[in-house]
Amino acid sequence: MAFHFHPLASTRVHLSPIPFAAAAGAPSPSSSVAIVAHHHHHHHGRRRFSAIVATAAAASAAATTEFDFKAYMGERAVAVNRALDAAIPAGEPPAALHDAMRYALLAGGKRVRPALCLAACAVVGGPEAWAMPAAAAVEMVHTMSLVHDDLPCMDDDDLRRGKPTCHVVYGEPIAVLAGDALLSLSFHHMASVGSYPPDVDPERHPARVVRAIGELARCIGSEGLVAGQVVDLEMTGTSEPVPLERLEYIHLHKTAALLEASVVIGAIIGGGTDEQIERLRKYARSIGLLFQVVDDILDVTKSSEELGKTAGKDLASDKTTYPKLLGLDKSREFAEKLLSDAIEQLDCFDKEKAAPLLHLANYIAHRQN
Amino acid sequence: MALSSLFITLSVPKVPSSNSRRLLTARASSAAPSASASFDLRRYWTSLIADVESELDAAMPMQPPESIHSAMRYAVLPGAGKEGAAKRAPPVLCVAACELLGGPRAAALPAAAALEMLHAASLVHDDLPCFDAAPMRRGRPSTHAAYGTDMAVLAGDALFPLAYTHVISHTPSPDPVPHAVLLRVLAELARAVGSTGMAAGQFLDLAGATALGEAEVMQVLTKKFGEMAECSAACGAMLGGAGPDEEAALRRYGRTIGVLYELVDDVRSASGNGKMRSNASVLRSLGMDRALGIVEELKAQAKTEADRFAEKYGDRVLPLYSFVDYAVERGFELQGAAATP
Repeated sequence: MAFHFHPLASTRVHLSPIPFAAAAGAPSPSSSVAIVAHHHHHHHGRRRFSAIVATAAAASAAATTEFDFKAYMGERAVAVNRALDAAIPAGEPPAALHDAMRYALLAGGKRVRPALCLAACAVVGGPEAWAMPAAAAVEMVHTMSLVHDDLPCMDDDDLRRGKPTCHVVYGEPIAVLAGDALLSLSFHHMASVGSYPPDVDPERHPARVVRAIGELARCIGSEGLVAGQVVDLEMTGTSEPVPLERLEYIHLHKTAALLEASVVIGAIIGGGTDEQIERLRKYARSIGLLFQVVDDILDVTKSSEELGKTAGKDLASDKTTYPKLLGLDKSREFAEKLLSDAIEQLDCFDKEKAAPLLHLANYIAHRQN
Repeated sequence: MALSSLFITLSVPKVPSSNSRRLLTARASSAAPSASASFDLRRYWTSLIADVESELDAAMPMQPPESIHSAMRYAVLPGAGKEGAAKRAPPVLCVAACELLGGPRAAALPAAAALEMLHAASLVHDDLPCFDAAPMRRGRPSTHAAYGTDMAVLAGDALFPLAYTHVISHTPSPDPVPHAVLLRVLAELARAVGSTGMAAGQFLDLAGATALGEAEVMQVLTKKFGEMAECSAACGAMLGGAGPDEEAALRRYGRTIGVLYELVDDVRSASGNGKMRSNASVLRSLGMDRALGIVEELKAQAKTEADRFAEKYGDRVLPLYSFVDYAVERGFELQGAAATP
């Protein structure tokens, strides 16, 4: 059944690449990698990081030119925002608590987690609308973790995405409650029959939703997201360098776990097979770790203007990062490997349906801020 | 009459000796079966608490990262505080509702444990320095006092999802509990602690609520305590296979019992025999006479709801009656009743 995070020692094994041959009947390696070709690369110079993409680009540009990633993400963000807006019981008291929830939840953002959830549902052949309640739920959970993370007793941040954080606007107790209420709402929204369109399979749908809720809960609890936050907390303030294995544990739990939940619950609700679900789980864990490696690289290579936030913050705060532990070149190699690992997991899926997941992985690898 | 006798009971509380094995006999209402006198609530409650405690203990194994799991266990499992074992009223009510309808105890126990986790998560956050700043709970340091504020926030955040995980992985499903029913239970649990339930009560309670009228005070108590008890009874009802009417009646019963229990605590705290669990005090706002009047009203309401089941379910309705009496009279202490891990 469920894939467990620990023991730590086995982390490497999970992330090691599966040979191309493993996916019987899958497209050839060259064509599958080729789909990654991305029109942005020409603008951003020739970072080594993008080599794997650049070389493959020549092979088949046709498959990608038709897929407009920017439009795809824009449309999904609009649909997700609409679902989030509708999910909060705005008419009901207490108004200030619901205001605080809306303030945190509807503050914008790229909605990467919901997009992953919807794309995972579609790649296994499910209608995207089936996964919309789950997509909204993962964004609620993500928002809740940010609201609590920003609290004075935690990271103590006053600003998020250029706006005052929830506790700055509403006060600490309401921020704690708004986070708790968002967490409850995510599960309520997923569990309620009324959240789903009428065309779900009445025979299979309830069991799938139960399984999906179990996945979400496990990924965000003391074995998932919270575990990452706890270990991160325990590392902060110690002068000893964090070993690589610990750093990976933190990222796999703090970041990858919720991406894993997003993808896996989308695939479950979409009716994916166990094999498809496990492949997508590996895909999500790779891009989750990739997300953090890229974050670390950007922190040392980009200016504050380019990032839209303070660059070099990790160095200044003496935080352990991949460039610090491995060096910049090795960090970039690691990122490349994570990206190709993620892409390989998509080999067994229909190429056209997998295009959003390919581009999402690529986006996470090549974002500039 | 009722009011004055109640006043005496509450203001001159009986202090049972440590060896006291006083049975609390359910007071038979007109519709109640005559066997009611033999029902031993203390024994029923004690055996249920033991089941709930072992369910909770098994649900939270010590594993890495140990700090968070240790904090979670601390928040949920009973300590050796001077106030004694937790009474576990929400899980007891859940199991009793399920058993009333003839459902197996095993069907309700995971949800009962989940109720306790959700309840504990809310309390951990409610005690935080930015909230009530409570240094103590159940006679020992509150979770943030023992583990730090950051760990207390995270322990609460982890207990919420653990409750859902536990229900899903331990409720016997799809047989006898179909997946669709399990989903309704999950939605009910999430609703009860959400922005229109317990969180709303905590939010309203933040205001201090010292100068509130009756409606406002009762709303705080209903949201903060009634919702949780309604959820307990509703989950038990669903897991026991209740029809819509039965579920609705058990919901009303649960909500009434939750507020009643809290109101009596309020009255008892005024007589130095209890603790304030809410800033919204009926006593402070409305005075003792009105508080005792409301106690009587709630008691009658709860018994009326319980009466609906008497004919069909016979003796199995006795726990429902006895909870009402216990809520008012607190005829025994549960000290040492629970299994200590």
